[in-house]
Amino acid sequence: MYRLLLKLSFKNAFARLSRTLLVIVMIAVSMSMMLSIEGLYDGMTNSMVDRVKRSDCGEVSMYSKNYRTSRALKDNIANAQSIAQTLEKKKGVKSVVLRLQADGLGSTARKSAFSTIIGINLVAEEKFGGFSEFLKKGSMDISKNGVLVGSELAKKLKLKVSDKLVFSTQNLQGEITGMALRVRGIIQTNNVVLDRAALYVDTKRLHKLLGLSAQSATQIALRLEDEHLIELLKKRYADLDVKSLLELYPMIQQMQELMKIFNAITFFIVMLVVFIGIMGVMYVSILERIREFGIMRSIGMSYALLRRQIFAEALFVGLSGYVIGALIGYVVLYYLKVYGLDLSAFAEGLESFGYSSILHASIELHYFSATFLAIVAASLLSVVLPLRKIKHMSIVDATKVVI
Amino acid sequence: MFALAVKNILFYKSRSITTFVLIFISTFFFIVYVALMDGAHSAILQNALKVYTGAIEIYKKGYREKGGNEYLIRDVKKIEDVLQNIKGINSYSARYESYGLLAYKDYSSGVMMVGIDPQKESRNSSLKEALSAGEYLSEQPNNCLYMGSNLAKRLHLQLHEETSFIGSASDDSFVAEIFKLCGEFTTGDYEFDSSAAFANRRYLDGVMLSENMASYIAIRVDKLSEVEMIQKEIEQKIESDKYEVVSWKTLMKSMVEAMKVDSIFGYISISLFFVVIFFVIMIFGFINVSARLHEFGVLRSIGLSRAEIRALLFWEIFILASSAVVLATPLGAYVAYYYSVHPIVIEGISQTYKEYGIVSDTINFSFNTFTIFWNVGVIYLLSFLSIVYPVHYVNKFTPLEAARHV
Repeated sequence: MYRLLLKLSFKNAFARLSRTLLVIVMIAVSMSMMLSIEGLYDGMTNSMVDRVKRSDCGEVSMYSKNYRTSRALKDNIANAQSIAQTLEKKKGVKSVVLRLQADGLGSTARKSAFSTIIGINLVAEEKFGGFSEFLKKGSMDISKNGVLVGSELAKKLKLKVSDKLVFSTQNLQGEITGMALRVRGIIQTNNVVLDRAALYVDTKRLHKLLGLSAQSATQIALRLEDEHLIELLKKRYADLDVKSLLELYPMIQQMQELMKIFNAITFFIVMLVVFIGIMGVMYVSILERIREFGIMRSIGMSYALLRRQIFAEALFVGLSGYVIGALIGYVVLYYLKVYGLDLSAFAEGLESFGYSSILHASIELHYFSATFLAIVAASLLSVVLPLRKIKHMSIVDATKVVI
Repeated sequence: MFALAVKNILFYKSRSITTFVLIFISTFFFIVYVALMDGAHSAILQNALKVYTGAIEIYKKGYREKGGNEYLIRDVKKIEDVLQNIKGINSYSARYESYGLLAYKDYSSGVMMVGIDPQKESRNSSLKEALSAGEYLSEQPNNCLYMGSNLAKRLHLQLHEETSFIGSASDDSFVAEIFKLCGEFTTGDYEFDSSAAFANRRYLDGVMLSENMASYIAIRVDKLSEVEMIQKEIEQKIESDKYEVVSWKTLMKSMVEAMKVDSIFGYISISLFFVVIFFVIMIFGFINVSARLHEFGVLRSIGLSRAEIRALLFWEIFILASSAVVLATPLGAYVAYYYSVHPIVIEGISQTYKEYGIVSDTINFSFNTFTIFWNVGVIYLLSFLSIVYPVHYVNKFTPLEAARHV
């Protein structure tokens, strides 16, 4: 019986081929566009989050209690090395890096700019976030007097690879001190704060310059496999300032939330209009067949079966659109994920806001599952009104109807 | 034909209402959305221009590429005399910028030390309005500093306390000077507030040996739309082989590009709605003409040509689209106009986005009749396109086939 019902529904759904195809095309085009936009926008934000994690704070970072407000060297973590060693052994911790930072002035013979010198260990940074992937020009070399310069700072100071610069700052004792540096590479992390000011040097050299012990650091950044560890770390190291990525970069959280709201509104409006489209077709399709339904009822078909047949018709139309839309959407998203959308023509503008000039999309299962549910709901709801009409019509009246 | 179209519209109510509502919503939404997008972009640019960057800036050739003291403008007065006689220039200010290190007790920070004429600068930018503590620079040359609030915080420097500056003078000699913090400003541009300090030019000229010199001259114009014209006039009147005249479009290239990208994404997002709405209008149009095939067959049989049937359907969509547009346009335009005059204020935006230099807590709208005109044009075009397939479908039938159609 149900097989016959499905067969009947399928045939009826495609009986008026032109208008059914129009609905299918409408669902497919709008859905593929919506998926592409959603994936691209999510991809932009995810890429930003990923770069911030890899270039700076990981999933969580630890500072001395007052450091983030004072930015003073005296507020360093004196036993950072031993904390890092303990953390590295902890289950769920992927990698740990120590960084030492100091604010000061970067100067060339012609220009100067506010800079932040960051002492790093290249091997640890590579493990932490694939630091070499941020290299834009030159080589990853901070040996001797080598320095890697943030791309925006390099632009500001007109620095090229092999140029010289001097960094001046105060050491732990408050004395003005400085170091002569030679640019070995330009780093572009797309983390606006770092690209505008960072000078990466060997951490040992910086410890010496600032008069700090080799054990100390101003930041301990961690990459975690399990983000639940953040709360445990906060409790375990209550004497330190332990902050998650979103606490350190509240703007990213806001952007993610805004993106979610935007995607939800877009989703709702598109699905509402799609619903109106399906409803229009199904309404006409059902009403022009009222006589047919009357005859079916009079030869013994129950209203429940009739309702199922009509629901199945709506689902055939909706799901055909969904399958085509999902396929097109997936192909577009896959292309955008692998090759990206090249907006190099606007590179400067995008990079100044922390985005990469080639935008890669994300593909998440929930894009497809949420759309599936929405299309199913829209298809089923679209026939509720005409079904009510059929339900309240007597079989004799229905049989007499001439369209 | 017009009367027949009106009659059909009134007869097929559900199709007419759906089409009307969808076109009405699309028009209204499009006008408001574009006004919001353009308004936000324009506000960001204008805020950025208002704070410090001039609409036009004059540099000695080489300063922007290489920088350094050999590329300073060394005859400021001569250029200022030229600027005085150019129509459309609101004000100008010669700025001497130098970089150095400010230190206070255990704290130090890099600083962009700028020598300005306090009175001229107050007309040329919103520096004076950005005062957040203490007082703005006085006309009397003294060692007062007007400093970004974040820089003062970084140095732990309080009002009226002294700070030492080390840097280099215009002749590359070493400079060390004691300044007193007299005022703080907060523009909302985090980087600027963290690195800039201003001093009276006449005082700083003595320290830097920079009399009649400037890093560049920033110019404010009456109307931003006239920037290119004024830029050309300046180029003609000054020694253009020696100086370069640059407009804000070049000076703020990254921001201009970011706005363009944002607009592109904005249009991509809104195009999604239009595609769906276009299909729905087309589907309703198609259902409508399918249901009227018999009627069209009869009309063709009594002598109406294909072109007349086409005209009839176009009249119908024209009447529906026009009535929706006529109602939605003034409403959308009013919303755009109202909010362009009274921007929406959301406290805290500037604080959240301080690192990105967005300085305003307001959400601005732009009211531009040309923009509204093309927005409405797009909706009209989509409405007409949506009826192309239904018209083609109807005209595929011969009068006999159509008349027999059930």
